[in-house]
Order: sequence, then C-alpha cells, then structure tokens
Amino acid sequence: MDLPVQQFRTKAEQDFLDLFTSAEKALPGARNEWVSGRRRKAIEAYGHLGLPHRRIEAWKYTDLRARVSEAHPLLLATGLAVAAADIEQAFGAKIAGLPAYRLVMVEGELRADLSDLAGLKASGVEAISLAQALEKPPAWLKASLGAINPRADDPVLALNTALMTGGIALRVGKDVTLDKPLHLIQLDGKGDPASAYIRNVVVAEPGSAATLLESFGSLGMKGLQRNAVTEVLVADKAAIDHIKLQLEVEDALHLTTWLIKLGADARYNAFVVSLGALLARNQIYAQFTGEHAAANISGVTMQRGRQHCDTTILVEHLVPHCNTRELLKVVLDDEARGIFQGKIVVAPGAQKTDSKQMANALLLSEGAEFDSKPELEIFADDVVCGHGSTSGQIDEDLLFYLEARGIPEEEARALLIQAFVGEAFESVGNEALRDAFAAASAEWLGVDFD
Amino acid sequence: MPAVQETVARVREIDVDKYKYGFFTDIESVKAPKGLSEDIVRFISEKKGEPEWLLEWRLEAYRRWLTMNEPAWANVKYPKIDFQDLYYYSAPKSTEGPKSLEEVDPELLETYAKLGIPLKEQAVLAGVQGARVAVDAVFDSVSVVTTFKEELAKAGVIFSSVSEAVKTHPELVRKYLGSVVPITDNYYATLNSAVFSDGSFVYVPPGVRCPMELSTYFRINEKQTGQFERTLIIADKGSYVSYLEGCTAPMRDENQLHAAVVELVALDDAEIKYSTVQNWYPGDKAGKGGVYNFVTKRGDCRGAHSKISWTQVETGSAITWKYPSCILRGDGSRGEFYSIAISNGHQQIDSGTKMIHLGRDTSSRIISKGIAAGHSNNTYRGLVSAHRKATNARNYTNCDSLLIGDKCGAHTVPYIEAKNASATFEHEATTSKISEDQLFYCLSRGLSAEEAVALIVNGFVRDVLQHLPMEFMAETQKLISISLEGSVG
Repeated sequence: MDLPVQQFRTKAEQDFLDLFTSAEKALPGARNEWVSGRRRKAIEAYGHLGLPHRRIEAWKYTDLRARVSEAHPLLLATGLAVAAADIEQAFGAKIAGLPAYRLVMVEGELRADLSDLAGLKASGVEAISLAQALEKPPAWLKASLGAINPRADDPVLALNTALMTGGIALRVGKDVTLDKPLHLIQLDGKGDPASAYIRNVVVAEPGSAATLLESFGSLGMKGLQRNAVTEVLVADKAAIDHIKLQLEVEDALHLTTWLIKLGADARYNAFVVSLGALLARNQIYAQFTGEHAAANISGVTMQRGRQHCDTTILVEHLVPHCNTRELLKVVLDDEARGIFQGKIVVAPGAQKTDSKQMANALLLSEGAEFDSKPELEIFADDVVCGHGSTSGQIDEDLLFYLEARGIPEEEARALLIQAFVGEAFESVGNEALRDAFAAASAEWLGVDFD
Repeated sequence: MPAVQETVARVREIDVDKYKYGFFTDIESVKAPKGLSEDIVRFISEKKGEPEWLLEWRLEAYRRWLTMNEPAWANVKYPKIDFQDLYYYSAPKSTEGPKSLEEVDPELLETYAKLGIPLKEQAVLAGVQGARVAVDAVFDSVSVVTTFKEELAKAGVIFSSVSEAVKTHPELVRKYLGSVVPITDNYYATLNSAVFSDGSFVYVPPGVRCPMELSTYFRINEKQTGQFERTLIIADKGSYVSYLEGCTAPMRDENQLHAAVVELVALDDAEIKYSTVQNWYPGDKAGKGGVYNFVTKRGDCRGAHSKISWTQVETGSAITWKYPSCILRGDGSRGEFYSIAISNGHQQIDSGTKMIHLGRDTSSRIISKGIAAGHSNNTYRGLVSAHRKATNARNYTNCDSLLIGDKCGAHTVPYIEAKNASATFEHEATTSKISEDQLFYCLSRGLSAEEAVALIVNGFVRDVLQHLPMEFMAETQKLISISLEGSVG
C-alpha cells in the first residue's frame, strides 16, 4: 500500500520525536552500536509514517492521531516499594495468588525482589531483563529482536523499537516443559503521567512448552501511555499459551503488538482479556512458516463508559496444512466502542489451510458501538476458510425464560452475559486461570456467582 | 471429477478465443474532440440541447472533479488512465430518432441480431405470449429506439432516455437527478456527472405496477469511447417496477472506460427490482485490453416500507469496481443484494454492496457468490452499518467464494458497523473448493460423482439465480457463454 506522504506533524507526533531525541543517550544499550542503530532506524521510520489515523486502512476505526494529543515523558524507575497487597489490589486475589513463576516489572524495571528468577533458571528458562540484555545482547537475542515477524509499516511498533526500555528476554530451552505458568506482571508507577515502552522477546526452542501470562495493572498512575510489544518464536514442535489480562487504569492509552512466528507442528494459543484502559489496541500478527502448525487466538473484551478497545489480528498462512481458530467475545455498555479487525491471508500454495474466525458482540446500551471487519485474502484453492461476525443485544426470550423461573432481571442479564463470554474462556487451558477470568468478568458485571 | 472439469472448461470459454461478441459495427458517429475540458462539457450539453441549469450542474461537477483524486483503495491494478486521451461524446449519426424499427439503420439492427436481441420478434411475440419487455436500447451513447412506449404511457409510466426526459419532464429530472449520487460523491461519479451522455429514465406514478419488465441493452461500440451512462429510476408511492440491464461489448485493443451512475429512488411502499447481467470484453489471454467498469449504483429507500433489490451477474470486464448500495432511510424499508461474480483469465473484480440503515425497523439481506478461476482476483467488499437511530435494524450477510485452480485469489472484506444496540447483524463467509464431506454425503446416498458435484455447484449459486426475472434468466444464458446451472447438469 502506498502510504500518503506526511504533510505536517501534529503536536503529539512531534512530541514522540522529541522524546526520543532527549532520551536517546540514556536509553538502555545506548553505547551498543547494534542497539542504537536499530533505534535510529526505527525513529526514522516513525518520522516518515507519523501516528496512524483513520485514512490508514488498518487504523480506520482507531484514529491515534486524533486521540493522542501529547507524548508523556518516559516512566523512570524510582524503586517504588511494592507489597504483595498492592499486586492483589491491582489484579484481584485469584490472579495474584496464581501458582506461577513470577516476573514483576514496576515502572518498567524488573524487580528481582518480587520475582522468581532462580526458580525459572532451575526449570531451564533463561530470563534477562531487557535493559540489561541490550547493554550486551547475546547472540540469540540479536537473531530474534525485531526479526521474528517484522512489520515495516507499523508506526506503533517503530516507536516501541526506538524507545524500548522495560521488558524481558526469555529463552525456553529445547524440550523444556514448564510446570507452572510464567507470570509477567507489568505495573505502572504512581504520580505524574508517563509513558512505558515494554519489549519482550520470547524464544521457545524446539519441543518446549510453556504458558506465558502477561498481566497489566495499575498502582494508581494517572494518564499512563503504554506501548508494549512481545515477540514470540514458537519453534518446531513447541507449544506456547500466551495470555494477557489487561486491567490498566481507566484513563490509560494501551497499545500492544504481538509478533508471532510458528514453526512446523507448533501450537500457539493466545487469549486476550481486555477490561481496562480508555483507549486500547491489541495487535496480533501471526505467521505460519512450518507445516501442521495450529493457532488459536481468542479473547474477551468488556468495556463501558467511553472506553475504546480495538482487536486487530493478522494471520498469514505461508505454508500448507495449518489451522487457525479465532473467537472474540465483546460486551459493550454505555458509550463504549469495540472493534474487531481480523484478517486471514492464505498465500499461494498454502493448500489444506483450515481457518475460522468469529466475532460476537453484545451491545448493552443504546450508545455502544461495534465495528467489525473480518477479512479473508485467499490465493489457494484447496482450503476451508470462513468467518462470521454478529452483533446484537441480549435475547429477550432467554431473559424471559430466566425471569419466569424466578431469577431477578439484573441477575438474569448478568448470567446471560457471563455465559456469553464464558464460551471464549473455555479455550483457556489452565483451569486456575479460567476461574480467575470468570471471576474478573463477574466482578466487571458487579455480581458474585459464588 | 468430470463435472468440475466441465465447469472449468465453461468458465474458460469466456476467454478471448470464444468471446462471442467480439465484433465491431461500422456506423458513422458524431464525435467530440478527444480530451476533457469545460468546452467539451459545454459541447456535450449544447449537442443535447440541455437547459441552462443542467449545464451549470455539469460544470460544477467538472470543476469538482478537477480537485479530486482517483481512488486507490480497491483491490485492483491497472495502468493510469489518461483522461485526456478519451472521447467524451459520440452519437450515432441518426440522432433524430426513427419513428419505428424499420427506420433504424439496418447495420444497427444487425448488431442487435448478433447480440441475440430479438427486438422485432419481441414486438410480435409480446402480444402472443404476454411476456412483454420494453427495450430502451442504448447504442453507444444515445438512445436510438424505444419500444412499447404507448403501452407504458397508458399505465402512466414514463420510460425514456434521460436527455428526452430533460425536455419532457424537466421538473422530475431536476428534482431527482443527483439526489442519490450527488455530484461530489466519488471520482468516477463526479466525472460521470460532468460528461454523462445518456441513459434511461423511468418514473412510475403512485400506485402503478409497471405492466412489463423494463430493459436496456448497453453496448460500448465506438473506438476509445468512455461510456458515461446515467440512469434514473423513480418509483412513486406504492408503485412497483422491475428493470433489467444487460451488456456486451465488442473486442478492443485499447482499454475502455465505463463510468456509469445509476440512481434509484423508492418512495413510500414502492419497490424497485434492478437486475444486471454484465458481460463486457474481459481482455485477452495476457490480460491486455478489456473494459474498465467503474460504476456507481445506489438506491435510496426514501419512503417508509419501500424496497430496493439489486441482482447482478458479473462475468465480463477486465476490471469491475462496483458496489450497488441501498440507503435505508424510510422506516421499515428493505434492501437486498444478490450477486454472482465470475472472474477468469486476468480479470479483477472488486464488488459488493453497502447497506446503510438509517430508519427504524429496516432490514437488509446480502447474498454474494464469487467464483474465481484462471489468474483472476475476486474481491467481495461490503459495508453494513446501522446509525444511532436505526432501531431494530437487521442484516443477514452471506458471501461464499469458490476457487477453481491455484493461481487465482478470492478475498472478502466486509465492514460491519453497529452504532445501535438493537441492531442485529449476522455475517458469514466461507471460501472453499467443493467440500469432500458434502460429496461423500451425496455419494453415500447413491448419487454418481458427477451428479453429486452438479448438485453442490448448483446449490452454490442457486440462491442468487433464483432472484433473476424469468426473461432475464434466458438472456443470461445467451449472453454469458456459461450457465452455472447448466454447466453441471
């Protein structure tokens, strides 16, 4: 696609460039030629692209240029004291108490005092904080950072590469099966509005298996701008469950991009739960490069007030015999806006592709809006591809049925909504997580089913 | 699977070797000089003896067009069009208009005969069989002959060329022209507004059910002539009209541009059914030549409980860029879109519809069947939207694609925008070749492989074929050298 030439820069667009100029010298890896070269190239690319706006097809429904008025200064680590109670406060007891290898990042800084680095190492997982890794990147990181599923035309990704400070570099060793989920907790800080650029790189070596949970929560900062990127290489025969729980503070800007590459016989299950933030966009780019691999990308979005949540998924089938399943459940109340853009590309020769895409939206209020664009782009004939998209309100017949059995209306509604999103939770393999998510959606609904 | 192969073979027949309508009729034309300028717009307007307001309207469109850019979002590729290298006006020399068929240039009649349009025969047969089809035949740009006028006039239906309607019913034309597709609408529609040559005008008075199917045959004939048809159909309160449009074009080396505009207006309780069979020259084996079909078609369900239904069979043209749409403004109005799009060779189709729900209790239905073969690309692009006040809007969309061969592409790009909680939208799309499961199911019930495939492919397009008027079904089979129903039977 020919991108229009940038005619002028908005204040925010210039802000981001200035942010880079002022911070460049102090960014992690500033003295490393390989790292600083990448950063400069990325900011240059951003400079050409500018912030995405509605005339850019992929951003038709999420106009960042119009919505972002300024760039906040980078979030700096202040060694904030964080107790277990703070984590429970941010995510609820079930998530905070989840048996897992924990990696906690506060203000973009990996906190050894709150993390279980030793346990991870004993299990065969190499984990280094990105800031540390960028000072002297190991060979495996150099081969993966920005190279797993590169996207040249994404300005949000370019900004992340230019400004990445926090995050984690992970390597799950060959044939290692992690016994507990790896829980990556991202907390903001306290105080003035700031921005956090998180970059995670995950390399799952052949035959390995792990569950990676990324949780985003708040310690009470106002106006956080988060730009988080996770790159995941799922090598041959590896299996990764990649789960995200987004409970950012309600005035936050939350942009995440997942860049995934699957090898032969690989399994990748993504699940995204979006409850927080004022303006959120989840971008997932997945690419099949080896045969007989499968991906399941699902999620639940529940929004109210003036929240805006965009889920954009691009899956590219470059080789034959791969499967994709997508299921997104969206619940919108008040004047919230939900967006689903899903595109499945089947390249020439990628025969026997089997892909299904489904987005269901439930609109609870007159002012809510759901926009859906499920796309198929197919260049091979022996394929089975389908997509569906529905939007509507709660079925009055079902409601009547429940009410006729003595269930009060409010509770009946909540039950129906819980059942609606519950269908998607089914695809989460980890039972404790499934329960935790059901509890989170019940809390959103303001009911207690227990 | 012999039946599949047969389908493949039939689809190939659309190719240049078999292009049945690749002939050229040598009739003298009155041409405007090449290129486009204010003078050309004035020339066209003057040639047609138009009133001052229409000239101003054209000029406004032309000035607007100069400020616009060609749209680049469609999934089609073609060399840049030099708009100064086209003729914008060409009319057969006998512009006076013959009183009867006998006065028509015999060569013209011969052309129609080759096309298989039995104009004379129809006139005779009409009384016998009762299947009456009025034909406002468009040869290049000027309506040459109009039949059945009297009978239509008896019912009060006005069916004439737009340029004639400008003279006889200026108040109607002025009121409705550009009211559905404004001159600022899009690049090609604006160009059309500036230089439109002619087209059909239909007005059905309140409560009248048009006594016959109305039909226009378009035919691009003159070398390097962009054809800019303008069709305007108004169904007044409680009326009904069915309109058929079918097209063939002769073989050409130069790419030909066709930028038509069709406007439909349905007032309270009125219904318009608009059917199209399009079989213009698709280009040769290497993808050279062929018609560029950049058409803007839009219906406005302006009145309560009105209904507009589009049915299209798209088999021709090198590039098709066409989105027959419905604006569901009236409460309880309904829009329908049924489409079969077949692409082969190097054809590119980017087509679909827009259903814009504005009124309460509006409903729409979209059934699209795309079949891609050869090196072609077949894209369905559609929009379904419900605005804030469109309470209880309903839509059902189904778009299926069938791929024949591994060099072609089938794409689906739907936009679904629900701004009202009570709107119920359902969308589903599939892309596949013939399902092994379905085949197995049929075989296990005792059908032969051939019968089974016939059954399945038949089922694939039947939803749409059923919506074509009977008269057109026959015409479809004649105009297109492939009948999807027959190809596997």
